[in-house]
Amino acid sequence: MFGAFFVWLLSFFMEIALVCLIVYQLISLADLEFDYINPYDSAKRINSVVLPEFATQAFLSFFFLFTGHWFMFLLSVPYVCYNVRIYTQKQHFVDITEIFNMLNWEKKIRIVKLAYVIILFCLTLFWMIYSALED
Amino acid sequence: MSAHVRSLTLKQRFSEKKCKIATSAELDGSTISRFSLQLFSFLSVSLKVKVSLLVLLHPPLLILKKQPMANEKTGPPNFPGRPAASPFAAAPPTMTPFLSAGPVVGSEASGYGASSPARFNGPSISSPPPSYVPYDVGSYQRFPTPAIPPSQPIPPSRGPPPSQPGLSPSIFPAGQQILAPSPPVSFRPQPQIPSVPMGPPPQNVPLTPSRGNVPHSSLESLFPASRPTLQPSLHGYPNVQANPTSQVPSAQSPFFAQPGGYVPPPPVAAPIGLNPREQMQHFSAVPPVGPVQGLVEEFQSLSVGSVPGAIEPGFDSKALPRPLDGDIEPKSFVEMYPLNCHPRYLRLTTSGMPNSQSLFSRWHLPLGAVVHPLAEAPDGEEVPVVNFGPMGIIRCRRCRTYVNPYVTFSDGGKKWRCNICALLNDVPGEYFAHLDANGRRTDLDQRPELSRGSVELVAPTEYMVRPPMPPLYFFLIDVSVSSVRSGMLEVVAKTIKCCLDELPGFPRTQIGFLTYDSTIHFYNMKSSLMQPQMMVVSDLEDIFVPLPDDLLVNLSESRNVVDAFLDSLPSMFQDNVNMESAFGPALKAAFMVMNQLGGKLLIFQSTLPSLGIGRLRLRGDDHRVYGTDKENALRIAEDPFYKQMAADLTKYQIGVNIYAFSDKYTDLASLGTLAKYTGGQVYYYPCFQSTIHGDRLRYELARDLTRETAWEAVLRIRCGKGVRFTNYHGHFMLRSTDLLALPAVDCDKAFAAQLSLEETLLTTQIVYFQVALLYTSSSGERRIRVHTAAAPVVSDLGEMYRRADTGAIVSLLTRLGIERTLTHKLEDARHMVQLRIVKALREYRNLHAVQHRVGGRMIYPESLKFLPLYGLALWKSTPLRGGHADAQLDERCAAGFTMMTLPVSGLLKFLYPSLIRIDEYLEKGSTKVDDFKNSSKVLPLSTESLDPGGLYIYDDGFRFIIWFGRMLPSAISFNLFGVELSGFPDLSKVILCERDNEMSRKVMGILKRLRESNPSFYQVPQVVRQAEQSRERMLLVEDQSGGSSGYVDWILQIHRQVQQSA
Repeated sequence: MFGAFFVWLLSFFMEIALVCLIVYQLISLADLEFDYINPYDSAKRINSVVLPEFATQAFLSFFFLFTGHWFMFLLSVPYVCYNVRIYTQKQHFVDITEIFNMLNWEKKIRIVKLAYVIILFCLTLFWMIYSALED
Repeated sequence: MSAHVRSLTLKQRFSEKKCKIATSAELDGSTISRFSLQLFSFLSVSLKVKVSLLVLLHPPLLILKKQPMANEKTGPPNFPGRPAASPFAAAPPTMTPFLSAGPVVGSEASGYGASSPARFNGPSISSPPPSYVPYDVGSYQRFPTPAIPPSQPIPPSRGPPPSQPGLSPSIFPAGQQILAPSPPVSFRPQPQIPSVPMGPPPQNVPLTPSRGNVPHSSLESLFPASRPTLQPSLHGYPNVQANPTSQVPSAQSPFFAQPGGYVPPPPVAAPIGLNPREQMQHFSAVPPVGPVQGLVEEFQSLSVGSVPGAIEPGFDSKALPRPLDGDIEPKSFVEMYPLNCHPRYLRLTTSGMPNSQSLFSRWHLPLGAVVHPLAEAPDGEEVPVVNFGPMGIIRCRRCRTYVNPYVTFSDGGKKWRCNICALLNDVPGEYFAHLDANGRRTDLDQRPELSRGSVELVAPTEYMVRPPMPPLYFFLIDVSVSSVRSGMLEVVAKTIKCCLDELPGFPRTQIGFLTYDSTIHFYNMKSSLMQPQMMVVSDLEDIFVPLPDDLLVNLSESRNVVDAFLDSLPSMFQDNVNMESAFGPALKAAFMVMNQLGGKLLIFQSTLPSLGIGRLRLRGDDHRVYGTDKENALRIAEDPFYKQMAADLTKYQIGVNIYAFSDKYTDLASLGTLAKYTGGQVYYYPCFQSTIHGDRLRYELARDLTRETAWEAVLRIRCGKGVRFTNYHGHFMLRSTDLLALPAVDCDKAFAAQLSLEETLLTTQIVYFQVALLYTSSSGERRIRVHTAAAPVVSDLGEMYRRADTGAIVSLLTRLGIERTLTHKLEDARHMVQLRIVKALREYRNLHAVQHRVGGRMIYPESLKFLPLYGLALWKSTPLRGGHADAQLDERCAAGFTMMTLPVSGLLKFLYPSLIRIDEYLEKGSTKVDDFKNSSKVLPLSTESLDPGGLYIYDDGFRFIIWFGRMLPSAISFNLFGVELSGFPDLSKVILCERDNEMSRKVMGILKRLRESNPSFYQVPQVVRQAEQSRERMLLVEDQSGGSSGYVDWILQIHRQVQQSA
């Protein structure tokens, strides 16, 4: 029982971390759009957290797998696959030179990701409370 | 306890299934990822669909909402297309005094060219209006001619004869009746008003009060008889308007669902309102352009409305419109707003801004501007320099607009209202001047910034982040075996040496050199040395600069060392057998040397970069890639190093120009990226041989080094409320959403930008644009070049078409097409271009089809008559044409890079080159080149123009092709080349040079004359004999060649597509 709760707690924190990373990227993009920072800083900031985000996400997903939460794993698989795909195509970093032309697309991707993670987050929260209550 | 148990069972379950799942996951990894990819693409597609659905749903709503507004606006009768009136009224007072008195303001701030006092006088004013009246009419006139004086307020020629043919056969008699007897014919335009809610009267409001209300009174007095004539046609109007609605066939496009709001003038109104003018244009346009005559006349007898062209399937190809006069700058725009900057600096794709989103969505062509901020002005028209001195530059507090001729002064001259954001600003005490009775400033004639559309402001220290940089030239030269063998090294060294005296910015100019093959060679040029010291760095992994200073030296101090270096450079490497090229490391080294100051980096590369970071591989030979989704990858940088490097270079104010010389693949797509994001240029000399291409390299390098360059520049285009520039196209890097960073920009670069509407409905009557380029001049002064222009807002699509500028549209379409090839297949890019033309013409057809029964004829607006042909030329241009075999990849990329920076006139010339027959002139006695100028005629680019017994020059701005007919008397070729041409095995090796005979001198005179008209590039003459070169056919845009259609077919094809869903 305690183990299950602990698993959910851990994934809960990982999801919070993911939300933070994505929000940070979104803020950088928004700052860029409103001309608070220049594209160099913006791209640097975003690119510095892209790999941590991917790693955390992949870890979370496999953490679900190893702890036997199939449903949650399957839910997070498309996200992993998408990450793997753009990583193998070397498109995971934002391109400084084209960042303004890509701004809307990059924002859209990150908003979708954010929504995705928040859904996972809510489910996790539910399971966490559920397992805590069941105890 | 229970928790324990559960975790145990969990573990058990887990361990049982673990292996299975793990393996299956591994196995199915690919399928899963593919599935998820599909899922994602599906998601994105469905998103798009939703979005487009929304977009589709919206316009009707908007239109429904809009309609009452439009009707309301129609209330007061006013003159259609007369927004010109009020600004014009404002103009003359400001201009006329200016003409007479011409004191130079801030002439002490010279340094940029020769700022002579003559600058403001006489001819320098783009279009000085002698009086008010002419402009009132002249603004309609697109082709003013001596035959019909445009300055007559009531030109008799406007009357019946020309306008009759313009009417449709069905209403012809009626039209005659209406037109012929009525004396006040010229007032006919008025009936059109109700249907064209242009909303000019409110325009008067902001401008007139301050500048005097001459226009109002004069308008009233000029058109006293207008009211009565208006009445009858207004009565007839409702009946007619009912027609379109009832006539609309069900197959018509959805746009006809709203006849009231946007459908153009109904039959009666339109011909009367528009045709007199249109016809006048035609008549005036006819005489010089031979082939068009038939077309126009034929049409005039057949057609209706403002439609000047009609083409039946199987028509005469001679009747098709051809831009034989080259680029024609839109005159109407400048004449309407004489305070605007000259069109050479700023051209809008249409000078009628749509007033609503729905109207904008019906304008299928690009809406935007082509900006050429540093365009070379002819003598006497230089941009005046203004120095505000200690009071600082006058700008709007809120939107930072620079003070310009369109701002209005009020409150006795204490306040000024910004024309872009309408904010009321205080006038600084030093800048104060009293207003006269008309509300004009009394010192207007001494203030170029208030009377000229283009000015150059001297910027104070607030506009500097660091002291203005000196002009800096750094040369990065490939010295591998191929550079030496082709003779490139020698030509480059000699040219640089010749230009040393002419480099701008003496005595601050800095210079530096770096050469590389498989190692990197630095040169110490300290002024105390006699000979330069060479330092070789062979560690390519960890680049370091061996000497902190003295790699970049002041030219005037180290002149002797630089001279010595350039003298010895060719001989130093003449025995070099190194084939490698450590380009990437060398670039990094150059970056490290330059990043303190910035400047211009000239790269001479003659092989594929093969060592160290940024090495490239041979790609592009694989024809199988063409037609697949990976095709576009060939046209973008292969290694992210290049993009990253370009971004860093721009950050440190380094502009890159690439000179590529190679007989083999050099991956210009990757190398050119460096120029693309640093405001640079790509020069490509395929198979460089100094004997053949030496002159071209010499000229172009010299021009690059000596032309006026703006350093560490930024460009911003401001525009009025409601519109916004969203996309920019050209060579620059975006530093923020609307700020273009240009480390080094010069007079040969143009930029394009696309507009979008921010609001669903524009409430203003005029949209203002202001282009501001902040830069450091070579003399070390911070300057701001400001170009201001105004464009009226229109509510009628027909008006947008009438005000369209083909040159600017083609320029934007070209840039969009080329950018498309970077993300899509070539085919997609071509179709995009075609589709936009088709959509535009279809929309135009819908506009006129209902009332005018155009039937099977093709109709297009007068302003866009060349658009289909340019579309065809673009389709056949090097960056877009064919597939793998039709152009070499490097050639394609180089042409793409060049076309992205070309100004409008250069681009049009490149797309539709001029073809001139010269043998007749050569055989004639006269020796004057002027005679040639007068007698020569530009011919259509088709095989029919080429006579086997003739000698032709084909000039596309980049090369001359001397075309020899088979039957040409051999005496001519003998005179020109000194040999019999038929005995020559390889004509590409033939060199045309001056020989000691009359004919040769004449030809050289012609070539020289042609070159002077286009100083940006050097045109190497190439000799082609009839039917000897397979690529000869590709030159002739109008001919059918390998898979692409000829002009006639193209027009038919477009016509068919226009009709398909019309």
